[in-house]
This record gives sequence, C-alpha cells and structure tokens, in this order.
Amino acid sequence: MSVTETAAALEEERPRGSTLPRYLALKGGGALVSLAMVVVLGFFSFRVLPGDPAINMTRGRRVSAEEVERLRAEMGLDDPLPLQFLSYLGDLFRGDLGVSYVYRREVTELIAERLAPTLLLTGTAALISVVLGLWLGQKSAWRRGSLFDKTQTGLALVFWSVPTFWLGLILLLVFAGGLGWFPTGGMVTPGTDPTGLARVLDVAHHLVLPVLTMVAVVYAQYLMVMRASVLEEMTSDYLTTARAKGLREDLVRTRHAVPNALLPTVTLIFLTIGGLVGGAVTVETVFSWPGLGYLTFQGLSAPDLPLLQGTFVVFSSIVIVMNFVAELVYRVLDPRLKAS
Amino acid sequence: MSGAQQPAGAALEWRDVTIGYRRGDGGELVAVDGVSLSVPRGGTVGLAGESGCGKSTMAMSVLRLLPRSARITGSILVGGEDVATMSWGRLRAVRWTEAAIVFQGAMHSLNPVRTVRRQIREALELHSSPATRTPAQRDARVAELLALVDLPAARAEAYPHELSGGQKQRVMIAMALACDPEVIIADEPTTALDVVVQAQVLDVLSGLVRDRGLTLVMISHDLSVLAAVCERIVVMRHGRIVEEGPSEQILGSPRHEHTRELAAAFPVIGDPGSRRVVGRAAVTRLRARESGAPEEDGGPAAGVPAAPDGAAATHAEDTATPLLEVRDLVVDFRSRGQHVRAVDHVSLRCRAGEIVALVGQSGSGKTTLARTVLGLQRPTSGQVLHRGVPLPTARAALKAYRRAVQFVLQDPSASLNPKHTVYEAVAEGLRIHRLPGDERERVAAALTQAELTPPEQFFARIPQELSGGQRQRVVIAGALALEPSFLVADEPVASLDASVRGEILALLLRLQRELGLGALVITHDLGLAWNIADRVVVMHQGRLVEDGPVEQVLLDPQHDYTRTLLDVVPSRLGARL
Repeated sequence: MSVTETAAALEEERPRGSTLPRYLALKGGGALVSLAMVVVLGFFSFRVLPGDPAINMTRGRRVSAEEVERLRAEMGLDDPLPLQFLSYLGDLFRGDLGVSYVYRREVTELIAERLAPTLLLTGTAALISVVLGLWLGQKSAWRRGSLFDKTQTGLALVFWSVPTFWLGLILLLVFAGGLGWFPTGGMVTPGTDPTGLARVLDVAHHLVLPVLTMVAVVYAQYLMVMRASVLEEMTSDYLTTARAKGLREDLVRTRHAVPNALLPTVTLIFLTIGGLVGGAVTVETVFSWPGLGYLTFQGLSAPDLPLLQGTFVVFSSIVIVMNFVAELVYRVLDPRLKAS
Repeated sequence: MSGAQQPAGAALEWRDVTIGYRRGDGGELVAVDGVSLSVPRGGTVGLAGESGCGKSTMAMSVLRLLPRSARITGSILVGGEDVATMSWGRLRAVRWTEAAIVFQGAMHSLNPVRTVRRQIREALELHSSPATRTPAQRDARVAELLALVDLPAARAEAYPHELSGGQKQRVMIAMALACDPEVIIADEPTTALDVVVQAQVLDVLSGLVRDRGLTLVMISHDLSVLAAVCERIVVMRHGRIVEEGPSEQILGSPRHEHTRELAAAFPVIGDPGSRRVVGRAAVTRLRARESGAPEEDGGPAAGVPAAPDGAAATHAEDTATPLLEVRDLVVDFRSRGQHVRAVDHVSLRCRAGEIVALVGQSGSGKTTLARTVLGLQRPTSGQVLHRGVPLPTARAALKAYRRAVQFVLQDPSASLNPKHTVYEAVAEGLRIHRLPGDERERVAAALTQAELTPPEQFFARIPQELSGGQRQRVVIAGALALEPSFLVADEPVASLDASVRGEILALLLRLQRELGLGALVITHDLGLAWNIADRVVVMHQGRLVEDGPVEQVLLDPQHDYTRTLLDVVPSRLGARL
C-alpha cells in the first residue's frame, strides 16, 4: 500500500550522532584549552598582587638592601615578565612548580602531601551533602507544600545563608571547646602517631566538625536544585503513563521521575564539587586542617608566588576535570546525548 | 477479573458524572458537567470537542488519574465496578489490565531515559500472568506486541528519542495492549503527527479493534479522524454532551450548532460548497444542508460571502512580473559532515493577490523554503526575486523587503512576547520601520483590519488575556500594520481550535478580497488548501512535484505523491479502512 510505503520512507532511521572517541576528543580538547588558559591567568594575576615577596620574606630581620636585591635576583623576580613566564612554562612541563619562598621546599612536594587531606575532607563532605541534598530534595518535591517540605527547605536555606567561617567557629566553640567531644583542629592528635585502625578512628574523629561545617553550608543547593527539577518532572506525561500502568506512587517517583530529574542536577553537582575543593580554604583554616586550602591561605600572606600558582593550577585542574567527568556521566545518564 | 455479571455488557460507563477542579482562589472550575455515557463491550466511541471541553478529563477519570484538586461526583464504572470505591491496591490492579490508555505518544508520554523494552516490560512485570512469568517470556511478549503494531523487534532496544513520532505512537499502542485490556482509551493519538503517519497509526488502531474485539474510546478534536475509526461520535462542549450519534450523521448532517462548527473545519475536498467558504458561512451552509434547503443558499448568506474564483484570478493574471519569484533554489544543511538537501532546485512564482498553498509532509522542506523566501535562511544557490529584483543579501537592504513580505507563525502563543501588550506587539514593527503618521492610528487601523474591534479595548491587553484566535489576530495585525503586499504564513491555524480555524481563514480571504493581499500558506492540511487557496504547490523531499490551480491539483492529481496525500485525508479515511 502506498501509504505504508511513504510512511516507511518517512520513518527511515535518522543518522546516529557522534561516536564516543570523537566525543571524548572534543570534550578532552576543550578541557586542555581551559587548562592552558588557567596557567596563563594564574601566572599573570598573581604578579598583580600588591607586596614585594622579597621584602615580605625578610620582614622582621635585619637585612641590607643588597641582600634583598640578591634575593630578588635569586627568585628570578628581576627578569622581564615574559621571560619569567617562559621559564615558568618550561618548568611546568617538566612537572616542576618551583620552590616555595616561605617553606623553601619544592611546591610539588608540598602540594602532594597536602592533597590527600583535602581530598579526604572535601570528598567526604561532598558525598554526604550530595546524597543528603538529593534525597531530601526529591522527597520535598514529591510532598510539595507539606510540613516536611517546608521545614526541610527552610532549614537548608538557613544553613546556606550562614557564613562558613562563622558556623565553623560556633561548632568549634560548642563541640570542641565547651563540650570537648571533638578535637579543636588538625588531622591527628599531636604528639601521637597511631597506626592501623587507631589512626583511621583518630582521623575520623578530627574529620567530624570540618565535614559537618561543609555539609551544612552546601547541601542546600543540591536540595533546592533537585527539588526544582523533580517539581518540573512531576507534571510530565510519562509519569501519568507510569501511574496508568499501575505503578505504586513510590515506584513512579524512583523509577521515572528521579532518573529524569537527575539530569540537570548532575552538571551542578560536578561543578560544585570542583568548587568545594577551592572553598575548603575557609574550613581548613578554621580547623587548621593540613590541606591545600590551609596551604593557600599561608601562601597568600607572603605572597608566596610559586606556591600560589601551584595551588591555583591544582584547584583549577580539579574543577576542569570534574566538568569533564560531568560530561561523561551525563552521557551515560541521558541516552539522548549519544545521538545529538 | 472481568465484570461478567454485568448484564447489558457496558464495558465502560459514566453515570451522571460531574468533575470540578479546585482553583487557587477557592472557586471551582467545572470540567465535566453531569455527563452520562455508556460504551458497550466491543463498541467504538469517539469523544470530540475543542480544548477545554472536558474530553481529556473524562478519559483520565476512568483510571482515577486526575490531579488531587479534582472533585468527582457520580459514578464511573469499569466492567461494572465503580472506580471511586476501589482500594488503591485494587485500582492498581485494574489499571492497564482492564482499561489502558494510549496517550499522545508523539509528545512526552514515554520516559526519555528508558528503552522501549524496559517500559513495556514494566507493565508485564506489574501485572504478571502465567504467560509472562519468566524474563524470557516477557521479552517474547514484547516482541509479539511490537509485531502487532508493525514494528521490528529490534526497536525494543531504542530510546524514545530514536523513534519517529509515528513509531512512538505505535509503541504507546503496543504498551497499552501489553496486559490484554478490555478497554482502550486513546487520547488524541494522532495529534501532532503528520497526515501520512496519522493514517498509518489509525490503520493499526482500527485493525486491532476489529481483530481483537476491543472496546475503544477515542478522543480527538478532529471529527474526521474519529469518523475514520469509530462507529459513534459524542460531541462535547463546556463539559456537556451536545450531540451524539452515528459517525456519518455527525459528520454529514450535524444537528447542533457546535458540531457544525467542528465539521466545517474539515471540508470534503471536491465539495464545491466548501470551496472558499469558511467560518460562519461554512456553518450556515451545514445548517442549510441539515434542514434540507438547497446548498447554494448557505454560502454567501452569512458574514463572509464566498469570493468567486474569477475575482482573485483577475488581479492575479494582469500582473506581468510575479510579486515573488523563486528561481532554481537550493538550500543545503550541513550537520556533522553530512549534507542534507532541504530544498532541491525549486522554482515558484506567486502573483500579487494570490493565495498559494504549499503542501507537504513534515520534513518535506516547506518551512525551509518559506524561511529562505523571507530572507531568514541564505540559499546555497538560486535566487529569490521580489517584483523582479533579486533579494539583497545585506541586512539593511533586506529591511525594506521584510516590510513588504510579512510572516505569520504557527503558534501565536509562542510568537508573541508574553510581556508585551497588544499595542506594543503591533507598534514594534512600525517603530522599526519608522513609518510616518500617528502610531496610535496605525495600530488601531491594523487591529480593526484583523477584526479586533474596538481596537482601543485591546491596546493594554497582554497575550495571556486573549484567546488563541485573538492571539493569532494580533500576530496578523502586527503584519498588517506594515502594509505588506504579501504574507507568508506557516501553518497559521494548526494550533487553533476548529471553530477558530474557520474565523482566521475567513480573515485571510477577506484581506485578499479587500486589500488584494496575497499569501503563501504552508500547510499539511489539504482541506485548508481547498478552503482558501487559488493555487496548490505540492512539495516532497525538497522538490516541487505538482503545481497548479486548486481544482486541478486536488481533483485530478498527476503525481503519485499528491495522490498519496489525498488518500490519507481523514475525511476519506473512513471509506478506506
């Protein structure tokens, strides 16, 4: 029949879109370009910082003008900027981030030993806040307008608006100072060097307050975004289809609404996880957590240019890598992206 | 499971059902108002009506799928059992096994992130029967269901976005049949589908109803679609049933005024009485036919007298250079290294004061052609000429041309800025083109021409406060304000209700008669071409396959494709199925 033939011609399969290697190359290339820009930006923006590192480093000591000059020359601060940049680039390619002015140690070495504590702190905080935020968010949306919804969104927003350092200090005051339940700072109890399970427990004990502070401040955004995107999906026709099929309400939610609502949320999650690492500066400083944030804070007071450039590049790389991962995860979650 | 004790065998029954929605201000919006309707076992009933008449609310009420704000009185019986008194568990068991709904699949009724297989299998898992205990049995059943709707079993692995509109609709039908329900409710199953695909879906649906003795309730705004599949048609308006009867009678000699309005929107091609007769005139004609009066009296009697063909032809033929000419136009699109030729060596001439209907399926390139004619899309090769002068490519030079050739889009709700008042919307063009004279006067004149009178009353309104038809009139007024010599209209009535469709078409005819305004009307609806056009141009896969006067092309089609299109016009489907 001619109708069926015409319809068949019309319904010929549309060509499938980009393949995985092509997609990876495209997104990976984009990530590399961003990284290159970060390196350039990082180098020049820190040169604009006020303060002369050579003078700051020698402050409080009796030094002659010649000695300061010699220090400047030693650190390469006398060379013209483009030349400094070129030598910085060359070192960077060899994996050499320079020597810290303050610590007098290789920056790569410093960053390497501080990276793990930061990842532990932010990783734990991110995991807890994402799970908590998403779970509360979809629950609130499903019972929109209920007491649960109102208290949860209200509470989350209050925590969100609280300054991180203030909340950290309050927690420190109450639970470490007053009640003495938790240590006041650091990652392990000073003067001890526990091993095995004892070490894990000790670190966990030190981890509680900083993680609590971070979670309290950030989980609200996951809650709000998840709530908004579930609300958006709630009027979708395919949920009516699911209900008409005879699904229980909680299955309608978990099998149909949540997977779709997750899509816009994923991008945000990965973006903020990258940001969390940078945001750790405040929390780490308040709780003297020996991580990258605390290191950056110390570097800022010099200003310790090689150290700052180093942490800047590391923080930015984490954000860029997280974005790249988001693109990959998104592709797995949303089949539509494979074709378009 | 089935209500075998039911004596008369009504598969589905609404008994004095009233359904209201609570509104935010505490009031209640009555969607269904005291409706009683019984669908016998194996019966096929079509529910017709315009948007907001309560027909979808009726469908949803069967499986208690209405939102929480809905209040229902009366009783709804599925297989003799009252839906309202069922426990949640019982209701979930009844859903899909006794009655299933075919939603508008072309839209978003399928979960976009799950494969077709998982979505169909989900229903089988929920309502497990001895034949679908094991996963292997379920997969076999999925393949069997897809075969029922003429889809290859491999399509089970596809995600909804990988399917065309027609395929999605067929997946919806397959899914509805999964648990062998007694009753199928199809809610606008072919809306938003292309005419050819629509015919195919209707084929599948009526074949299944015939072969399996299903009870079918089909909902549509399109009487001719319902008539193609259903024995009886029930017409609703404002939540009430206004007319009920056998399909042929409803379509052929409707008794109620509203049914006539609906029927008038779907003219029979070849019926001279509906040629260039639309809106009130067409309704009057149907009324005359029903009362047995001679047909010729109907047309010219009402507000819009039918313009004799000669009138349009006179100012069409005495112009030597066509107002608008397309010469050997080619438009290519490049997407990911692949060339797609949307418009393939098209030549076309539109004379002043002539209405040309550009007909074709979705994907035939008709919208691309229109965009190129408007200078919104650069041609790959070929030329567009206005009064014999090629279209300039520079932005500034295009401005004068754009004033002369105005665009009317499909969906007035989307093409009007929701924050702009009617006055702003119409005056914007005047300001851009710096037309002399009093702005207020010009806006008022344009609104009057578009039959929004008195114009002052509409100045301060925003689109949200207007009906669909009024919105489209505002769009047309915005075009008229610039005193164009030609309109390009892309599906100008496709998103409008049937009764409004007639009014807008009548307006286009009146503008042609009184202002000599020609138009290129893009449509997939051959009935529309028969209604208002002087000439029809048929487009297929980027090429013009037929071009000629309406009577010639539609009554004596030369090309196979034109014949196919004519074959699937819903008003002819009934005879074919």
